[in-house]
Amino acid sequence: MKSSPGGPAESARVDFSDVQRVLALFAQGIAGAPLHLKPFAHPAAGGRAGRIFTDGGSIHLPEAMAHFDSRAHNRGAYRVALLHQIGYLRCGTFTFSLAEAARRMALPAARPAAASAPHVLRLAQAHRVPDLERFFDLGARPAWLRRVFVTLEDLRIDTLLRRRYPGARADLERALAHALVGRRPVDARRPAAALLEALVRYSLGAKAAVLQAADASGRVTQILAQAAAVERPGATVYDSAHAALAIYDLLEAAARRARPPGATAPPAAPAGAADLPAPAGLQEQGGGTPDEQRDGPAEPADGDCEGPGVDFRGELLPGLVHRNLGGGAPGVALEGLDTAALQAWVGEPPDAAVGAGAGGDRVPGAHRARAEGPRSFLYDEWDYRRQAYVAAWCRLYEQRLRGHDFGFIEQVRRRHAQLAQQVKRQFGRIRAEAWQRTHHASDGDELGLDAMIEAVIDRRAGHASDEHLYVRRDRARRDVAAAFLVDMSASTDFPVPDPADARDDAAQPADHDPFLWGRMGGPVDLPSPGRRRRVIDVAKESLALMCDALRTLGDAHAVYGFSGEGRDNVEFHVARDFGDAYSARAWAALAAMEPKRSTRMGPAIRHAAAKLARQPEAVKVLMVVSDGYPQDSDYGPDRRDEEYGIQDTARALREAADAGISTFCVTIDPAGHDYLQRMCERDRYMVIDDVAALPGALTKIYRALTA
Amino acid sequence: MNQRPQVSAAAGPSRLDSEPWYLPLADEVEVFEAAYHARLPVLLKGPTGCGKTRFVEHMAWRLYRAAETHRRAIAAPLITVACHEDLSATDLVGRYLLSGDATVWQDGPLTRAVRGGAICYLDEVVEARKDTTVVIHSLTDHRRVLPVEKTGELLDAHPDFLLVMSYNPGYQSVVKDLKPSTRQRFVSLEFDYPGVAVEAAIIAHESGVDAALAERLARIGEKVRHLREHGFEDGVSTRLLVYAGQLAAGGIAPRRACEAAIARAVTDDAEVQRAVADIVDVLLP
Repeated sequence: MKSSPGGPAESARVDFSDVQRVLALFAQGIAGAPLHLKPFAHPAAGGRAGRIFTDGGSIHLPEAMAHFDSRAHNRGAYRVALLHQIGYLRCGTFTFSLAEAARRMALPAARPAAASAPHVLRLAQAHRVPDLERFFDLGARPAWLRRVFVTLEDLRIDTLLRRRYPGARADLERALAHALVGRRPVDARRPAAALLEALVRYSLGAKAAVLQAADASGRVTQILAQAAAVERPGATVYDSAHAALAIYDLLEAAARRARPPGATAPPAAPAGAADLPAPAGLQEQGGGTPDEQRDGPAEPADGDCEGPGVDFRGELLPGLVHRNLGGGAPGVALEGLDTAALQAWVGEPPDAAVGAGAGGDRVPGAHRARAEGPRSFLYDEWDYRRQAYVAAWCRLYEQRLRGHDFGFIEQVRRRHAQLAQQVKRQFGRIRAEAWQRTHHASDGDELGLDAMIEAVIDRRAGHASDEHLYVRRDRARRDVAAAFLVDMSASTDFPVPDPADARDDAAQPADHDPFLWGRMGGPVDLPSPGRRRRVIDVAKESLALMCDALRTLGDAHAVYGFSGEGRDNVEFHVARDFGDAYSARAWAALAAMEPKRSTRMGPAIRHAAAKLARQPEAVKVLMVVSDGYPQDSDYGPDRRDEEYGIQDTARALREAADAGISTFCVTIDPAGHDYLQRMCERDRYMVIDDVAALPGALTKIYRALTA
Repeated sequence: MNQRPQVSAAAGPSRLDSEPWYLPLADEVEVFEAAYHARLPVLLKGPTGCGKTRFVEHMAWRLYRAAETHRRAIAAPLITVACHEDLSATDLVGRYLLSGDATVWQDGPLTRAVRGGAICYLDEVVEARKDTTVVIHSLTDHRRVLPVEKTGELLDAHPDFLLVMSYNPGYQSVVKDLKPSTRQRFVSLEFDYPGVAVEAAIIAHESGVDAALAERLARIGEKVRHLREHGFEDGVSTRLLVYAGQLAAGGIAPRRACEAAIARAVTDDAEVQRAVADIVDVLLP
């Protein structure tokens, strides 16, 4: 969808990336479930070039809209395109059932491949051929029936949109008129194609009288009479199917009349090809159709009814939707698709919401039923070279960690009993300061004796008396929410550095564990050589101690881990979320933090900050625990250039600070100073070269940050 | 437009001379009546602005005013307390005031209700301080007594007294949740925003807009609530939809009315506001 040379002004152009979030929210509001909006893949990338479509969980839209002369109109065109696709999903197009169709209308005798005998039905289900595709196969020329059906569905949905969304009418009419102007004349020697073109034009708003006047055969009148059935209020996908069959017969009849006697019937299309159909109108507007190269213009061919599609309506791909919604294909969940919720609303009786009647009410709470699966989020990234944000650049998947090490917390408590006591005592001191009595309050639990005596004296002396007579006992509630964000990159798999080397102390055993030995003063349970303690182990044990202590203190806290690979797959692992109970399961989730892949810190910080920002507490703290500088395969244009990642992380930290969150970075990296200086504010980071110092450091920092 | 009854201010009694209008969603009226007759305390759960307070007003009117009972003699049948985070047991029960050279005991709203036989409605009770649970517990079991520590009294509740509380489970539920020991003393009635048809009837009645615009506003409410997780947990309340209707009835263009009463009111996020405005734009004629 690019503006042609000499077309509308460039300034009116609306880029998808600028409106993506607003459109996505709009779509969620209208559809009632989150839908992912994706810009077209570039034609060179081998995607479905240049066509709008939905696969059930996402809607693909052009990366820019520039048909019209004003930004408002181009935005409106995006909105109409979305409404149309949501219409397919919401108004029963994809819930078409062949069995239901057979109940409502006389279907033509199926060709052998599409026979609906029970065993064939089962076979078809096994092969996941959607019912719509099997319906198209009922025509001797499935491509024709498909085009007729899709055009009628488009007409039905646009009619519904006009009725339900009266405020979108102006945008819709504009888009239709634009598409109508762009239609090219059809070769008069192909009567079926001409009739179909008349139907398409009618669906785009062409006057019936004009179309009938241009038609010599008289069939247009019959076709439009059939089409009127889908414009009635309450029309369903079955009305479209019914009308499609009738119009299809008219097209066949027109083609037969035009065909020279003695010509053979067209060969049947292979039935199996229906699974993932080629788009009906691959050509951009103005492109030629393949059948133009065929000889024998009077010979009807499947391609006869192929013509340019209508841009803003995109195309209908039942195979894809069926796979995503019906088939439960793997990978759907990864798209952040709420399969259960979406199915719930796709499965609604078609057109349940037509009109204002009570029948349009949704079942309360139905939208809350959601499947457990990773939710995905899009975040901008800061490109320091351009000094600008790249919009919606990173996709982050949030997942709950689940673990099976139910003995983890007991082990940690036993191992670090002394340290645990220290941490708790430190935090206990914070708590002791929390109660206070306020004298001379204007309001309180009881009258203060001193204040009363003063007041009586003042009054007797004829002065005005102070009204602040009460004593109130306030618990200066700690109003703190803390999130710990832990680097789960592959490098945390490294064994804990052995200080024995540094001290050159040959007497130390090879697998001497400073964290364990240094603090405990004696071996408790020597780790076996096969299970050397790694950086991640120290990190999660420190956090377990912190959580245990914070529980006594009563501060809200959460522990997140992050890793991932590439901008499209930032992983955000929730080991413990705000408000989680202290069950064995919760501790096991913490124990399940394991080294994964890269360290794309920016989006992880942005996500953690967004979660923190939703907390009601007044003091918000974000502590990042990492073991090296941020890096990822595509964190910046040059893989070896760490500056991009550092700058983005710095930016993310600043965004968090702007949102009122105190941030702090703790890095276990002897060479850390270099980049942390550029990443964090002066007193907002700490580099420790010895992991053993981590729990102590965390405790001190925490006290300082929340005091 | 219509007569919105004089409703109590915070901690104020309500005389309820006229019937507060309320459109039942299910059997909540019957359940509440049955609970009242057995003097079982009632807990109303539901998002903000869905009609909990109006329901209590309506029920108080029904029980104390609609029929010829001895309860008509009670001057203030409903005492509402809007709870806030500094509200303590003292605020509910009462305190000594200094008057001249003497101290005078002043009953708090709860004590007045207990003595006088009114319905005491604690709105958004999770907001209140934890020490309030002490007085709530003794009033909500078979004892029906209110210990007034400072005067040394143990007040037996008036036979007509009933305690009603409301809370919003979604709102800040992580930090402020009702303890099970408290929750399990109440008959619970769950409220949610009504369906489009009912909500449209409410909007039309409360704001005075015509049925068509009321239906559009209700439809807007339905769609905007799909965005609940984006910064406004409760979605748009029926109250806000009524506000939009009232602005429109007052001559403001419907789109502008919705912008002021809905889009700008539910969130501060500019992009969410824009999306809400888009939803409003396509739904309004």
